Amino acid sequence: MSKETTQTTYQIPIGPIHPSLKEPVMFKFDIDGERIVDVDVELGHVHRAIEWTGMRRNPIQIIYLAERICGICSFVHPLAFCRAVENACEIDVPERADYIRVVHGELERICSHLLWAGVAAHEIGFDTVLFLTWEVREKALDLTEYLTGNRVTKAILTIGGVRRDIKKEHHAKINETMASLKEGYKKLAHAFLDDKTVKMRSKGCGVLTYDDALKLCAVGPTARGSGVKKDVRADQPYTAYGDIGVDYITPDVLTGEVNGDVYDRIIVRLLEVKQSIDLIEKAIDQMPAGDIVSEPKIPKLLNQIKKIEGEGIGRDEAPRGEVIHYVKFDGKSETPYTWKVRASTYANVLPWIPMLKGDQIADIPIVAASTDPCMSCTNRVAVINNATNKNYMLNKETLHNLSVMKTRRMIH
Amino acid sequence: MSAKKTEKTEKMLTPEEVVKYFKDEFKTKIKSAEIKRRTTGSKKKEFVNIWIKIDRSIFKDFVKHLCNLTYPHLAVACGNDLGKTIELVYNFSIYYGNHLEELSLNVSVDVPKAKPEIETICDWIPGALITEREKQEMLGIKVIGIPDERRLFLPEDFPENVYPWRKDEQTKKELEKLYKNLHEGAKKK
Amino acid sequence: MAKGLAKSFKKALWVYHCNSGSCNGCDIEIVAALCPRYDVERFGIKLVGTPRHADVLLVTGPVTRQQADRVKRVYEQMPDPKVVIAVGNCGNTGDVFYESYNLVGPLQDVLPVDIHVIGCPPRPENIIHAVAKAWTKLETLEAKK
Repeated sequence: MSKETTQTTYQIPIGPIHPSLKEPVMFKFDIDGERIVDVDVELGHVHRAIEWTGMRRNPIQIIYLAERICGICSFVHPLAFCRAVENACEIDVPERADYIRVVHGELERICSHLLWAGVAAHEIGFDTVLFLTWEVREKALDLTEYLTGNRVTKAILTIGGVRRDIKKEHHAKINETMASLKEGYKKLAHAFLDDKTVKMRSKGCGVLTYDDALKLCAVGPTARGSGVKKDVRADQPYTAYGDIGVDYITPDVLTGEVNGDVYDRIIVRLLEVKQSIDLIEKAIDQMPAGDIVSEPKIPKLLNQIKKIEGEGIGRDEAPRGEVIHYVKFDGKSETPYTWKVRASTYANVLPWIPMLKGDQIADIPIVAASTDPCMSCTNRVAVINNATNKNYMLNKETLHNLSVMKTRRMIH
Repeated sequence: MSAKKTEKTEKMLTPEEVVKYFKDEFKTKIKSAEIKRRTTGSKKKEFVNIWIKIDRSIFKDFVKHLCNLTYPHLAVACGNDLGKTIELVYNFSIYYGNHLEELSLNVSVDVPKAKPEIETICDWIPGALITEREKQEMLGIKVIGIPDERRLFLPEDFPENVYPWRKDEQTKKELEKLYKNLHEGAKKK
Repeated sequence: MAKGLAKSFKKALWVYHCNSGSCNGCDIEIVAALCPRYDVERFGIKLVGTPRHADVLLVTGPVTRQQADRVKRVYEQMPDPKVVIAVGNCGNTGDVFYESYNLVGPLQDVLPVDIHVIGCPPRPENIIHAVAKAWTKLETLEAKK
């Protein structure tokens, strides 16, 4: 009585423009005709043994290691680690440093969401929107370079504060960039939210219900797109978010209803870009004067950490969801006894399964990209095998073309 | 088991009341409970971490009791190799969705290395599957009743019974065989 | 453009990108090179989807155990003459991951590397410069035939 299903493997694309930019992750699908019956995910190709390596370094070196867990989330991982150490060792961070951390965190969120918007546009088939989005993103990257010295991997954090100050002479450039980002945001909102094709293509596919999102512990825009109000910035105060005040962004803010599909996730991410611009402006306005780091001399800091025996947690909100780091010191050396990293895509792997079941093959690229997976954060790959009959490979190019052709069919 | 949350009508307990809720039910099986409060920012907003140490025998009932209070969010399960025992720390968070009222609840359980077993919580919280699989392959913990026990991150040809996060001499020797220091430029096989 | 391009290469330079376990920092900068600001397509450089059409191979990341075979297979599928570029510090010296039980690298132990681009991540300008150098090298290889 079993249905005839075929087994096929698909490698998830993460690169715009070309299938050649892949992140190593593998999905295996059970297919019946055009519909997906079951899904399995295979992880592990990017496993670099970071936590094991980290347990052989001192805390300052671990900050630079944590930065390279993922190139796009290169601010949130060191931030979570620094907060874990600060909580374990009871180091107080000066107020000015908290506000500067907010500015950098939100700037990174803008860059990441714009990158994602370009990828999503490419998967639907709108390459012009891809170029438009990434051009807007270049302005945000210029500001990052102006404030920290590099476009990616900023090295701005240290335990107990930040390394570079935001002075009055920087404010002119920040205001100019924010103004141009607002212009860019208007164009993007028009391109995504007012466009009929995007709506047709993304409404109703990749649905994650409210119950599933809660039970599978989804985080970030994946959870908020289904109506679950989870956002570490609004739930637990960290750095200066408690002072400035952050709202949960769920799709009903714009449309009044929650469906949990790809379109809802697009709405959540675009509204978050607008929210980030506002947060940066408020943080610059309300920044108090003071020190930027609690202990500028590193040997003294390491000595302080050496004597502590205890454990600590640092949680914050990456562009993709909640990131948590756990650190344990044993009082004998400054090297942590244990360091555990849990990136946000870790929690968003299981939600893929209910999202993809029942959808068509041509929807795979857009659904997979809608959770904004960051494989190097997670480095997991799972392979699932279900039916046994036919066995063929669908490479990324074929799937991408299927997705684009479906869009064209819908337009005509 | 329903996972519905009614945010507005939910009654939120203070951290002390939460600890009391568990101590009332499990009495002496709760080995210790500590509430840590820290502040952040100019207005000195407070965030709370509750650290509870429990006995392994009540672990599954503890999680069930927690789900009856309010449906938690499981962040991750961390593991520490302490020599004769392995300490597992499960990081939960409750009362999310209520603007700055969230509490972090960290539950630690000790399992002896001679028999490292713990029960699965996937029937209450299906999202725990990924972190339980990771503990199985990295620390050698056996999770009883886990729905899917394949490896997660390590490659297929990684040797069996070698658990990278353990700190004993045997593990160190096994990893030395695989370990490579790229700066030396020489292959160690 | 680079010196030595006296005779222009007969066709556009086709590049294939392979990720052998990187953090994506270098990958983002490679894609940024294709965007309107740096616009590498005006030089005739194009990213292709299969190694069988490619002249240049860009490899990012320290080579993890699972990816080592795949990278070798990709190299074997490329037709001669071909050039391999190791982008980023990971492929060269391992960067911060230099001690690990799951890495096989540096890349030159797995494949013959012609050009090394350093940086973490290297700027798009450096990547374009590296591809231009690959161009001159390919011209010399082609001329020898």
